[in-house]
Amino acid sequence: MFIHNFKYALKTLFRNKMLIFWTFAFPIILGTFFNMAFSDIEKSEKLDIIDIAIVETDEFKNNEIFKESFKELSNKKNKDRLFNTKYVEESEAKELLKSNKITGYLLLKDTPKVVVTTSGINETILKYVTEEIKQTEKIVENLAQSEIKKEVEKKNYNIDYDQIYNKVLEITKDSDANIKNITSHNLSYTMIEFYTLIAMACLYGGILGMVAINQNLANMSSNGKRVSVAPTSKGKLILSSVLASYITQLIGIFLLFIYTIFALKVDYGNNLALVILLATVGSFAGLSLGVAVACLFKANDNVKTGIVISITMFGCFLSGMMGITMKYIIDKNIPIINKLNPANMITDGFYSLYYYDTLDRFYFNVVSLLIFAFLMIAISMFSLRRQKYDSI
Amino acid sequence: MTVFRTFLKVLNKCKTPIIMYTVFLIFFGGFNIQTSDNSTNFTASKPDILIINKDCEKGITKNLIHYIEKNSNIIDIENKEEKINDALFYRDVNYIIYIPDHFREDFLNHKNPKIEVKSTGDYQASLAEMMLERYMKIANTYNKNLSSEKKIIKNIDDTLSKQAKVEITSKLDTDHLEKATFYYNFTNYCLLAGCIYVICLILSSFKNEHIQKRTIISSMNYKEYNRKLLLSNSLFSIVLWLFYVLLSFILLGNIMFTLHGLIYIINSFVFTLCALTLAFLLGNLVSNKNAINGIVNVIALGSSFLCGAFVPMEYLPNSVLTIAHILPSYWFIKTNELLKTIESFNLETIKPIILNMAVIVIFTIIFVVITNIISSKKRKIN
Amino acid sequence: MKNVIEVKNLTKEYKELKAVDNLSFAVQEGEILGLLGPNGSGKSTTINCILSLLNFSEGSIKIFGKEMKPDAYDIKKDIGVVFQDVAVFEELSVYDNIDYFCGLYIKDKRVRKKYVEEAIQLVGLEEFKNFFPKKLSGGLLRRLNIACGIAHKPKLIFLDEPTVAVDPQSRNNILDGIKMLRDRGATIIYTTHYMEEVEILCDRVIILDKGKIIASGTNAEVKALASIEEKVSVEAIDLDKKYIDEIKKFKNVDEVIYNNNILFIRYKKGKNNLDTLLDYLKEEHIKYNKIYSERPTLNDVFLELTGKELRD
Repeated sequence: MFIHNFKYALKTLFRNKMLIFWTFAFPIILGTFFNMAFSDIEKSEKLDIIDIAIVETDEFKNNEIFKESFKELSNKKNKDRLFNTKYVEESEAKELLKSNKITGYLLLKDTPKVVVTTSGINETILKYVTEEIKQTEKIVENLAQSEIKKEVEKKNYNIDYDQIYNKVLEITKDSDANIKNITSHNLSYTMIEFYTLIAMACLYGGILGMVAINQNLANMSSNGKRVSVAPTSKGKLILSSVLASYITQLIGIFLLFIYTIFALKVDYGNNLALVILLATVGSFAGLSLGVAVACLFKANDNVKTGIVISITMFGCFLSGMMGITMKYIIDKNIPIINKLNPANMITDGFYSLYYYDTLDRFYFNVVSLLIFAFLMIAISMFSLRRQKYDSI
Repeated sequence: MTVFRTFLKVLNKCKTPIIMYTVFLIFFGGFNIQTSDNSTNFTASKPDILIINKDCEKGITKNLIHYIEKNSNIIDIENKEEKINDALFYRDVNYIIYIPDHFREDFLNHKNPKIEVKSTGDYQASLAEMMLERYMKIANTYNKNLSSEKKIIKNIDDTLSKQAKVEITSKLDTDHLEKATFYYNFTNYCLLAGCIYVICLILSSFKNEHIQKRTIISSMNYKEYNRKLLLSNSLFSIVLWLFYVLLSFILLGNIMFTLHGLIYIINSFVFTLCALTLAFLLGNLVSNKNAINGIVNVIALGSSFLCGAFVPMEYLPNSVLTIAHILPSYWFIKTNELLKTIESFNLETIKPIILNMAVIVIFTIIFVVITNIISSKKRKIN
Repeated sequence: MKNVIEVKNLTKEYKELKAVDNLSFAVQEGEILGLLGPNGSGKSTTINCILSLLNFSEGSIKIFGKEMKPDAYDIKKDIGVVFQDVAVFEELSVYDNIDYFCGLYIKDKRVRKKYVEEAIQLVGLEEFKNFFPKKLSGGLLRRLNIACGIAHKPKLIFLDEPTVAVDPQSRNNILDGIKMLRDRGATIIYTTHYMEEVEILCDRVIILDKGKIIASGTNAEVKALASIEEKVSVEAIDLDKKYIDEIKKFKNVDEVIYNNNILFIRYKKGKNNLDTLLDYLKEEHIKYNKIYSERPTLNDVFLELTGKELRD
């Protein structure tokens, strides 16, 4: 009986185009969109070559440090090249700036002046570099002064400027900061988008759970009436239908994983077993959500599907699907909302697997999902245990 | 009139899902713009830095902190490693500096103490790192040459005070224009989703097989019938559009009362008409109510992601943008993006905007023509 | 004769409405019992109560001599139900649908295969075996609905308005099928608001109105409840008024109407009414074209008992 029902439940699920679309196709389509939209975001966070102009004032022509520095930073052979520099008259520089051909230009008089149209990253870099050069100039000046002072104090009036210059260079040489970057390698925040996608797919499985319940309850569908008058235990039937839904859902999730891992190159961290655990538990939570919706609301399939989709989309919205910042804002300011949000439990689970080395947070999410699922099932039980109805 | 009255009746019947959907979208739009600061404001020029100081706040340590504070936005985050890591991941902070214990002492003893940092590796983090590196380099340099801490600090300050003057020529209200563009780009999704959802829902009632049989045998020309339906539907679209325009006045304020604001509004109006005809076309193609939800999501989310409604155009790969040319959303969003860079309106600056709108109008006409071709073919039911 | 179903004092109340009011009846083995009544008279509610789908306020229900409960599987295995709404899976073919529902009763695959084929034959869907429900016309869909309910060869079959909105061809097919089921030995409960069906099909009939039994018995017994014996119409042109007055005085005559050249006479209980009339017509040399005599229908009974037509 169990297998008979299971077989046909699978058959009906796979023939239902709507279900297949929402649980199989839609997450893959959405994932493709995400990939197209986000693939370049993080790459473009790295620096581009900036177009600038330098006004050839006398001060600039006579300032070796500035001249050499910009020459080196604009050198096409330099792998750390920052600028593409044009040397022009001031009027031309203004013209270039106005037509947006350059980010800004440098005007070197007594103090350097940077002229830009707006404040932005490239503009800031131009300013930083200019300042850096100016400050280096100042260091050299200060050091030279102090060296000369030392020589003078030693009553040595026959100053060898070459020697002092070399000494100054010596001092500046090994002065690099001792900075150690201890950031975790996994910092790609667009991954969150894909994690919400998995969360969405898991929760959409609720539609499958809902169908399994509707088909077997006399007060939900006419098919359910027919099943109710058959000499089979309702519990067994529901269990086998729900299992069929769960398996269908897991197949969908599995395909989504294959697609996101191999086609979209999504990084789920290194612990595959835990990824599978989370996906399995997440799907179970989604399934139980659908079961609860099916039991609690007496409405037709379309309305119930609408409810599951709305809950899912709203949950995903809060966990960062339409803007990753949303998840952070909620997590930071009203964490309780996301602690109750199954979409976030799944998203956050993947996030903690990906980003954190410790597993505390991951297991917290897994346990939360289990609690959520059992709560949903407990609620459903009230309706499921009933065998007779007041009205059909 | 009959068509219009029936339209209103059908609209009234579907009001619950329509109102729900609209509220949902408006909520999305409004909420997103409120939280948009962090996610889109990539152009902030000061990095967000968190300093965790394990040393006492004296001497060189104090000076370092003071310098960083002056040149960045200091972010205050609860001193728990997990909170800090989250903040870094979500770019709430770009750069975290851990000043070690005994930093001052070790520094003065020429041990060049190790400073641990965490970095998001983006622009801002690079700026922050440049800042820290520069300070330490200068400090180390003077440390070798000078003996007293006081002198070192004085020299550092002296050196760092050499700054470049910056002149900003543009008088554009960049911040507000940025927000307006963000808002109107987002309406791309709201308008498309709203129009397609509602119009498909309503048309699915009109295009019901049995009802359609009746309208086909009626004496009304199918083109006229389509035109009347389209007009009725346009009423809804325009109300929806007015909603978003009104919301933009509330959320964005003064910027909407400028010439820029007017063009944002005109642009969105042209796009609304296009969304309307697209929705109308889809409504004619799809008669299954169940399929509507899927179509809405694929088309509205698809054009929004591909054309830069959610992710700014400048961050999209070129290949995606090339594909996006075939979508009306692209031209709509392109105008919004253009608007935030235009300083003064003259024939030259406004020409590309008019061209973009013309493309949207062409799309609109194409959609209407295809709709008529399809319904003329559909007059014979298979 | 054994009683297959015994319903005693069944009462089912919705908030305001008494859908079933103190109903008691029994169904005997091998008969077709017609539950007749207008829409909303409580037919479907009664069936749903008997099937233990609905809670009811009072009363007891026994099937095959045992109390009916939701988990009385030994009873359920011999019951087949055809509900008013078509209850089939859109996603399954005709064959798969029948196989699925039959599979809830019959475990043995080979037996099931035979049963499913037989059910398909019974309702005449052989050519549509691999069709999906969407492609079936209303009548064929009803037939599938029936096949799904009876494929497991139940001893007791409930048919809840199986012929609503069905074309005549399918209706005849369905009615023939039901007779065949009875001939195979099944007991059948058949609800409808088409009295003609009850008259052709049912051995016994229960007429319900507002949740109460207003008449029950065999067809003839129920009809005997009517106060009239027969209705006679005579087509006679330009009949003189004196004849009409004369006929009115005949024994058993209840009412005489002459309208549009048709003389309509209703008789109360009594014999030889037609003979007397024919003799009189001959005697008076009254010319007539056609003459019909009708026995009272269930509708007449219903009309008399409730003052309203069975079908509104």
